[in-house]
Amino acid sequence: MSHVQPLEKGIILSIENLSISFGGIKAVDNLSFQIKEKEIFGLIGPNGAGKTTAFNCITQFYKPNHGSIRFLSKKDVTVELNEHAVHEIIGLGLVRTFQNVELIRELSILDNVLVGAHIDYKTGLFGAMVKTRKAKKEEESLRLEAMKILQFLGIADKAMWPVGGQPYGILKKVELARTLMCAPRLIILDEPAAGLNDVETLGLADVIRTIRNEYNCAVLLVEHDMRLVMDVCDTICAINFGKFLAKGSPKEIKLNKDVQVAYLGTQEDQV
Amino acid sequence: MKKLLAQIKAYPYTKYILLGLVLATIPSLVYFDVLKSSYVTLVGVVMIYTIVSLGLNLLLGWSGLISLGTAGFMGLAAYISAYMTMNLKMPFEVTLIVSILIPVAISVLVGLISLRIEGLYLAIATLAVSEIFRKTFAEFEFITNGFSGKSVRYPTFFGFFKLDTTMTYLLLVVFMVVIMILIHNLINSHVGRALNAMRGSEAAAQAMGINLLKYRLLAFALATALTSTAGILYAHFIKYVEPSKWNLGLSLNILAVIIIGGVRSIIGTFVGSLVVFAVPDLVLKQIPYFGKIPNFAYIINGILIIVVILYYPAGLIRVFNDGKDAVVKLFKKSRGKTV
Ligand SMILES: Nc1ncnc2c1ncn2[C@@H]1O[C@H](COP(=O)(O)OP(=O)(O)O)[C@@H](O)[C@H]1O
Ligand SMILES: [Mg+2]
Repeated sequence: MSHVQPLEKGIILSIENLSISFGGIKAVDNLSFQIKEKEIFGLIGPNGAGKTTAFNCITQFYKPNHGSIRFLSKKDVTVELNEHAVHEIIGLGLVRTFQNVELIRELSILDNVLVGAHIDYKTGLFGAMVKTRKAKKEEESLRLEAMKILQFLGIADKAMWPVGGQPYGILKKVELARTLMCAPRLIILDEPAAGLNDVETLGLADVIRTIRNEYNCAVLLVEHDMRLVMDVCDTICAINFGKFLAKGSPKEIKLNKDVQVAYLGTQEDQV
Repeated sequence: MKKLLAQIKAYPYTKYILLGLVLATIPSLVYFDVLKSSYVTLVGVVMIYTIVSLGLNLLLGWSGLISLGTAGFMGLAAYISAYMTMNLKMPFEVTLIVSILIPVAISVLVGLISLRIEGLYLAIATLAVSEIFRKTFAEFEFITNGFSGKSVRYPTFFGFFKLDTTMTYLLLVVFMVVIMILIHNLINSHVGRALNAMRGSEAAAQAMGINLLKYRLLAFALATALTSTAGILYAHFIKYVEPSKWNLGLSLNILAVIIIGGVRSIIGTFVGSLVVFAVPDLVLKQIPYFGKIPNFAYIINGILIIVVILYYPAGLIRVFNDGKDAVVKLFKKSRGKTV
C-alpha cells in the first residue's frame, strides 16, 4: 500500500495548502482546490496572480515550499506529485502545454507530436540505430496515431511541415496534439486561446469539449479570454495575489463580488 | 537525374553508400597514376575526422551540448589502442572494444559531474579533462613513449589477417558509411527526437517525459564512442601517435567542420571535414606566396565560418541543396516547354 492518503471517489487531482515564494513574493499562497474526473476546470485571475506558477508546481517544474498535490494516476493509484521528478509526471497521466508555446522549430509538426509519445516507445538505443523490424513497426503505429490526432484537430495536411514559421493558431494546435499522444487523465492548458482570433477561440471551445468526451480525461485550464472560460468550464476557481478568492460554476463566479472587484471589474470594459 | 534524386529520397541510405563507393575507388585511381599516392592518406584522414565530427554533430548539432575536449578523448583512444596492440600484443578486435569503452566510461563520469545542473558546464569540464589527457600523454613515457611519439601497425584481424594501406583505407570507408547509416537511423527515431527536444525546448522535453540528465549523458557517451572510434582508426591508419597533436586547436577544427559543413547534416559533416582537413593541403598550400603564410588555413577557416554563418547558417551542405533545387527546377522548366 502506498503511504499517500487515497483520493475520494470521483476526484482526480487534489491540491492542499500549496505555497511557493520567490524571494519574498508569495506567488502561490496557501491554495487549495480539487478537480473531478472528466471535469473542465478553469483557473482564473489577473496577470501575475500565480496561475502559471501553480501549474509549474503541479507539474513539478517548481518544487513547492508547502502543501500536497495528490493525483489519481493511470494505474488508479493515488500519488503525491511532489515525490516525483518533472519527467515522471507524464507517465502518471498528467500532461501540459505552455503559455509561451514550447515546440521544436526544426522538427516537422508530425515529429513534434511524436515527442509526446516518447514514454510509449519500447525500442532501445540499439534497436533505434539498426532499425529493427520491431522498431519500425512501433514507429509506424505511433505515427498513425499521431496522424489521427492531427486529423482530429484539422491540421493533418500540414503534418510534414516544419514547425518554425507556422502561424500561432497552428502552433497552439500542435502543442495540444502533443498532449493527446500519451492517453492522459488530466491535461493542463496554460492560456490555450492566447493569440488566437475570435473564430479560432470559438473552435477551441468545441475542441476542448470533444477532447474531454473522446479521450475521457479532465482538463485544467488557465485563460484570460473570459468568453472561453465561461463557455467551456464546468467549475472555475479564481485567485488573486496567489490566494484563493472564490470557486463555483461560471454563473456563480460571474456574480461573485470579490471576483468582480479583483478581476472582472477591471476586465469587463475590455471584453 | 530526377529519377536518381527520387530514388535517394525513397532509399535514404543510398547517398551514404554512393559516397562510400566513390571514396573506395581512390586507391585504384592512385594505382593507375590518376591521383598521387598521398591522396589515400589525405582522404583517409578526412573520413576519420568525419567520424569524430559526426559525434560532435550529434552532441552539438542535435543535442545542443558543447564539448571542447574532443581532441583529448580522440588522443586517449589512439594511445590506448596503440599500447594494447603494440605493448600488450592484444588482438585488434579486443583493442577496438576496450579503447572505446574506457573513454566512454570516463565521459560518463565527467558527464555525471558536469551535466546535472546545466549543459553548458560540459564545455568547461571537457576542456579541463582534455588538458589533463594531453599532459598525461607527454608525461607517462612508459606507455606513450613521450614526445618521441609511438609507432603503431596497420590492424590485424583474427590474429593473422594483416591489412595493408589500401585495406586499412577501405576499412575506414566501411566504418564511415556504417556509422553514417546508424546515425541516420538514430536521429530519425524517438531517441533522435528526444535529443532534438532537449536542444529545442528543455521545458517541453521534460514535460514529455524526457529525462534530461539521461539523454545528455547518452549524447555525450555516443559522441565519445565515435570520437574514440576515430582515434583508434587514426592510430592504426597513420601508424604513429604523438602527444602534441591532441590540443584545443584540433577540437576547434572539429567544431569548424560541423559549422562549415552543416549542423545536423550527415553528408554536410563529410563536406566540412573535406574543407577543413583536405583543402589546406590540396589547395591553400599550392597558392603562391599566400600558401607560405603560417596558419593560413586557420585564417581561411575563420573567414569561411563567418561567411557560412552569415549566408548559410545551416552549413555549406545547403549550397549543394540549393544547387540541386536549381537543377530540378531547370529540368522541370525545360520539360514543361517540350510538352
Ligand atoms: N521563476 C520565478 N522567479 C521569480 N519570480 C517568479 C518566477 N515565476 C513566477 N514568478 C512571480 O510569481 C508571480 C506569479 O507569476 P505567474 O504565475 O506567471 O502569474 P500568472 O500566470 O497568473 O500571470 C509573479 O509576480 C511572477 O513575477
Ligand atoms: Mg501565466
